[in-house]
Amino acid sequence: MKLIDIIRISQKNLFRAKLRTALTIGAVFIGALTLSLTNGLGNGVKAYVNDQLGNLGVENTLIIRVKQTQQNPVSTDVTEYNPERQVGTFNIALLDTSDLERMAKIEGVKEVFPDRLPMLDYMTAGDEKYEVAAYQHVEGLNITMAAGELVRNDFPNGITIPQKYVEPLGYASAADIIGGTLTLGYKDSAQTQQEVEVTVVGVQEQSLLGNTNIVISQGLAKLILDDQTEGVPALEGKYMNAVVKYDPNYSEDEVAKLKERFETGGYGAQTVQDQIGMISQVIDAILIVLNVFGVITLVAAAFGIVNTQLMSVNERTSEIGLMKALGASRRNVFAIFSIEAASIGFWGAVSGVLVSIVIGTIVSDLASKNFLKDFVGFKLIAFPVVPTLVVVVGIIALSFLAGALPSLKASRLDPIKALRYE
Amino acid sequence: MKTLIEAKNISKIYPSGGEDTVALKDINLELKQGESVAIIGKSGSGKSTLMHILATLDRPTDGELLFAGRHAHNLSVAQIDHIRNKRFGFVFQQFFLNARSTCLENVILPLTIMGISAAERTRRGLTMLEQVGLLDKAKQRAGELSGGQKQRLCIARALITKPLVIFADEPTGNLDTENGDIVTNLLFKLQKEHGITLVIVTHDHDLAKLCDRSLVMRDGRIVAPDSEQQRRV
Repeated sequence: MKLIDIIRISQKNLFRAKLRTALTIGAVFIGALTLSLTNGLGNGVKAYVNDQLGNLGVENTLIIRVKQTQQNPVSTDVTEYNPERQVGTFNIALLDTSDLERMAKIEGVKEVFPDRLPMLDYMTAGDEKYEVAAYQHVEGLNITMAAGELVRNDFPNGITIPQKYVEPLGYASAADIIGGTLTLGYKDSAQTQQEVEVTVVGVQEQSLLGNTNIVISQGLAKLILDDQTEGVPALEGKYMNAVVKYDPNYSEDEVAKLKERFETGGYGAQTVQDQIGMISQVIDAILIVLNVFGVITLVAAAFGIVNTQLMSVNERTSEIGLMKALGASRRNVFAIFSIEAASIGFWGAVSGVLVSIVIGTIVSDLASKNFLKDFVGFKLIAFPVVPTLVVVVGIIALSFLAGALPSLKASRLDPIKALRYE
Repeated sequence: MKTLIEAKNISKIYPSGGEDTVALKDINLELKQGESVAIIGKSGSGKSTLMHILATLDRPTDGELLFAGRHAHNLSVAQIDHIRNKRFGFVFQQFFLNARSTCLENVILPLTIMGISAAERTRRGLTMLEQVGLLDKAKQRAGELSGGQKQRLCIARALITKPLVIFADEPTGNLDTENGDIVTNLLFKLQKEHGITLVIVTHDHDLAKLCDRSLVMRDGRIVAPDSEQQRRV
């Protein structure tokens, strides 16, 4: 038989028992809709995270910590006390100046500097004081700016601030605040209130990274942190993280080897990409849980397809018998019923995905206009072509598998028995 | 005349619990090109089983079957499917038409299975419908036809592949006398025109008399074989 005739016959058969077919397609539709929406949500969030963090521009950078001995929550082992080990909050082991010196000697390291995290009390333009936290600027870090430019280490008193501070600080727009003077307040090691004057050189666009902290230069971070730790041996010259710059020409292999060298030195090393990878993994894990619901619905729908097709084979026993008597091969009969089953999947998947795209687009639009309005370019629910096609093709394949048993039954019918059936 | 189908010592045994049921026992027969043969007998005599075996719908337990001199057991499943599709035509008592499909679609089903193009199918289908006097019903659903028209449609379906043999299983069994006669006349007319071998399974002796010869079956054996005296002059 010609493929086109097989398809034609199966489509005709499909719409013979209209209600039954429609209900079976409906079950697949619900599964496809669920799966497509949860996928869309995951894809939207992931695309945004990748877009935001993927273009950071800190390519040749490693974040270094002392190898942690924190216990695995499911392990009953305890670790022996090591007096050499210096720890901070949560038993996180700290780096000190000798560590930094050791790292600088590791092969492939161009530059090492501590990740200084000074504790700020407030930021003010003279009137109201606002709570604030600061990142230390890393060369190459590429936060998108709404106005002005990035912090430069050769201009220690220049800072960039998140967009959300502009109005509270008494400025009309991001452009207005550029060049403005602000005061940062902090407490020194003797708990005395100190202030430092800074100049706004840029305003960070609202994004995952730019929305929370101000960014200050390495010089300013050092100035404040030194003031805060001076004379306190537990804190002075101690850091949770160090930032290492390596040769920008390093291949992936060489980076991996460099990481190993840190590992053998007793440090844990991660690239920014590794850290983004961890965020992606968390999103993926949530996504998988959500997808399981869609998949469970689809498995239920698959049983519906088996049921429908078994009924269809029973109803058409004499018809199948006739076709086989007239010379139709087993393969022809199998193909007719398989394509019928796959078509149920096809129509369910296509309608489910289309409706999910409509719903997703409406929800995304509403979200962008409301609670996500400040997150430029954040599409809550996204439908990239390949994952969407994978959903459709996957459902068709599942339906084909569900139809395999009834199709096999049909193809194995003995024409004589089938013709005697009526 | 050329021998199309030859059966040698055909037996068919159905295993049923402890005792086997013997449906056919040592059947020998030859079907020649262009002849018409009636297989008559009471129900349970084995006449339908014999037809099914001759038509390759069933396999004999023992014995040999030859198509144009070739042994059936040397043929592949695909080859046997092809023989049934292209060389054989079937007319059944219960018609086995697809009631929802049009008359044309029903008639061309063997061509669809054969893989003939749609245009060619339609052309040959319409020609065939004309020969059985159903050209005006081409677009009608088969379910809307009367019993006699249905069986004429089945004859058209059986003839469309220009087969060598037509197997008709009680072709008039579901028809009244008038329609039965119309169908019978049409069947024999087309059989003669196309030089087709016709095998009719029936318990109707009047219908059997129209055939060149009759095989009478009882308890799985041919009891009155190849009676030349029955041949119509």
